[in-house]
Amino acid sequence: MTLRSPSRRILAVWLPWWATERLTRRRPEARERPFVTVSEVRGRMVVDATSLLARKAGLSPGMPLADARAVEPDVVAVPADPAGDLQALQSLGRWAFRFTPRVAPSPPDTLFLDVRGGAHLFGGEEALATKVREGLNGFGLASRTALAGTPGAAWALSHYGNNGAGGTTTALPPVAGPDGTKDALADLPVAALRLEPGVAEALSSFGLDRIRALFDMEAVELDARFGSGPSRRLAQALGYLEEPLAPLRPPAPLEACRAFAEPIARASDIRAAVDELLVSLCRTLRRTEAGARRLRLICRGVDGTGQSLVVGTSRPRRRREALAPLFAEKLDQVRPGFGIEEMVLRAEVVEAVEAVQTGWTGGASMVAGYAGAPTPMPDCADAEGLAGLLDRIGNRFGFGCIVRPWPRQSWLPERAVGKGSLSSPAVPATCWPEGRRRPLRLLSPPEPVDVRVDEPRGLPVFFVRRRQARRVRAVAGPERLECEWWREDALPRDYYWAEDDEGRRYWLYREEQARWFLHGLFG
Amino acid sequence: MSVAALRRKIGQIDGAGCAGQPCLPLGLPEIDGALPGGGLRRGCVHEVGGDEAATGFCATVLARAGARGGALLWLAQHGDLHAPGLVRYGIEAGQLVVVEGLRRPGDVAWVMEEALRCRAVKGVVAESAPLGLAASRRLMLAAEGSDVVGLVLTPGTGAGGAGVPTAASRWRIKAAPGRGPDREAWRVQLLRCRGGQPLERVVEWRPPGLGAGGATRNDVAQAWGGAGP
Repeated sequence: MTLRSPSRRILAVWLPWWATERLTRRRPEARERPFVTVSEVRGRMVVDATSLLARKAGLSPGMPLADARAVEPDVVAVPADPAGDLQALQSLGRWAFRFTPRVAPSPPDTLFLDVRGGAHLFGGEEALATKVREGLNGFGLASRTALAGTPGAAWALSHYGNNGAGGTTTALPPVAGPDGTKDALADLPVAALRLEPGVAEALSSFGLDRIRALFDMEAVELDARFGSGPSRRLAQALGYLEEPLAPLRPPAPLEACRAFAEPIARASDIRAAVDELLVSLCRTLRRTEAGARRLRLICRGVDGTGQSLVVGTSRPRRRREALAPLFAEKLDQVRPGFGIEEMVLRAEVVEAVEAVQTGWTGGASMVAGYAGAPTPMPDCADAEGLAGLLDRIGNRFGFGCIVRPWPRQSWLPERAVGKGSLSSPAVPATCWPEGRRRPLRLLSPPEPVDVRVDEPRGLPVFFVRRRQARRVRAVAGPERLECEWWREDALPRDYYWAEDDEGRRYWLYREEQARWFLHGLFG
Repeated sequence: MSVAALRRKIGQIDGAGCAGQPCLPLGLPEIDGALPGGGLRRGCVHEVGGDEAATGFCATVLARAGARGGALLWLAQHGDLHAPGLVRYGIEAGQLVVVEGLRRPGDVAWVMEEALRCRAVKGVVAESAPLGLAASRRLMLAAEGSDVVGLVLTPGTGAGGAGVPTAASRWRIKAAPGRGPDREAWRVQLLRCRGGQPLERVVEWRPPGLGAGGATRNDVAQAWGGAGP
């Protein structure tokens, strides 16, 4: 056996309380009490994972829930969710792409980061490990890290390094250098070799407690008695045997890229290049059945400077003819400086889109449309035209300023208007109640006004708005509006339509038989 | 040469640019009769001033412009436009797109120009401070040849002050005493219209559309107080 040069540098990140901390992250009140996840084993509930508090209270995985409750009556138990844990671990792995492109989640609670060749960017391996732990701490996740030449050694050191099993949260990572792996592992318990359940106990019963004891044994002897597990794991940890990791794949970016042999600076050249990039990006988008909602154009200059332009759309787009005008308006913002040597066009936000046939003649063109939108043919072109207009407005003033008022079912006038999606051409499913007079202008917040009331009937006869007295010539009402029964934040209001001497119309309301407000103006 | 062709020719000489465009009748013969062509010209920009009643008038015109479908754009200066109130005048909820927060007249003019050029849009209302001569001329050219109705809603009640110097017609709408909670009345003044006659009428809004006349003295006496809507 030859010792391979352990060229890999693996950072193992162990999240000791992953299953519970993941669930209590968004629930601060749950962190105050012992928290366990439970699953059903042969008809009874058994503790699956514990939080730090629960562990301190004496609970441990494998304990029946009834026993756990006897030990700690205050315990909070929720069903275990291994699939959710795995999914969350993968998302956490995607977060870790900021440290290295090679991240491999190792269920149930460990991430392997191959940091070879990149640690200096973070100020060295120690600093990198600290950054990882700080980042996780920011999410409310306790972690222990260890760096070694092999995943096996890193795993062992992260789980059992320093002060044995369990362990605290922020121990310094024991950094096992390329040659120190054997020494670092020697004093760890055999369980640190990621053995099958029961094997570690079997080894201990023969007096083989520490990994050191296995160094001098022949693999054949070990295999004969304990199966191939211990010898294989030891060889992997020491680097005699390669252990492949299954890294997460970063999502493929939807982008088109073009590098120029000669730097370009002329506006016409830039325009032509953008056009070419659009053609290529649109082809990619069409292949993936997606449409872009936001595009970013990055121009890298010869002097190392970079500029970027962002273009948004109101509905997913993948036609060059629709996207090109949006860039055309912004391209004059690009300052070529000494010349641009590379341009990248990236679709940052994409949505699924389905092709819609818009004609049946030879020159039929395909435009982005929507499944389930029963739009007849002429409307399709109209919707495209409107979307183009909204795109231009949105790119100039921001999409936030375009509102499509949409009916929302609430009696309170300020809640009755929602925001409709800009991209859907559909007619709203609900509508505002008919026959109810609503003002053209709704004051927000309502203006408090002083009102004199005609006592026996309780109707307003006179009010003062902005220091101007208004005599109420005619009034109708009241219409009582209350908020939904499941909300309690607004008092019932009695609304009145009032007209002053000059014919101006107001929408007044009285809250709690006491305070008067002006809420709207009619046309 | 037929009479119609002759009229068209005279119209071309008379009302430079906008003649020959289809018109949008307001539905009240008294007013439509005072307008050349029997209604508000499409493919033109009109100016509306006055108080809150002007908003109601714009909503009425917009609803008629979008009666056969198509998008309607409202460029609001503040966020206080209340869509359920507009729906009452006949605008459908799915048609309306509101662009909010455009404060500078230049921005309003840019958006309005883009909207006037868009074939999917049937009507535009822009709340704006007075636009300059150049901007309003651009709007006129943008609207030309389309069938969109453009309205510029200028706040304040300046009778002589032209918010849009090139407007095809200029209106001032003020509230007038109405006959009931559902029958608001407006004092409609047509201040200027190329090829039309000035006019002042009190009109009334009844749920399907405009009607003639507001409250008379007698109606006011039996004011609509007390009873529910």
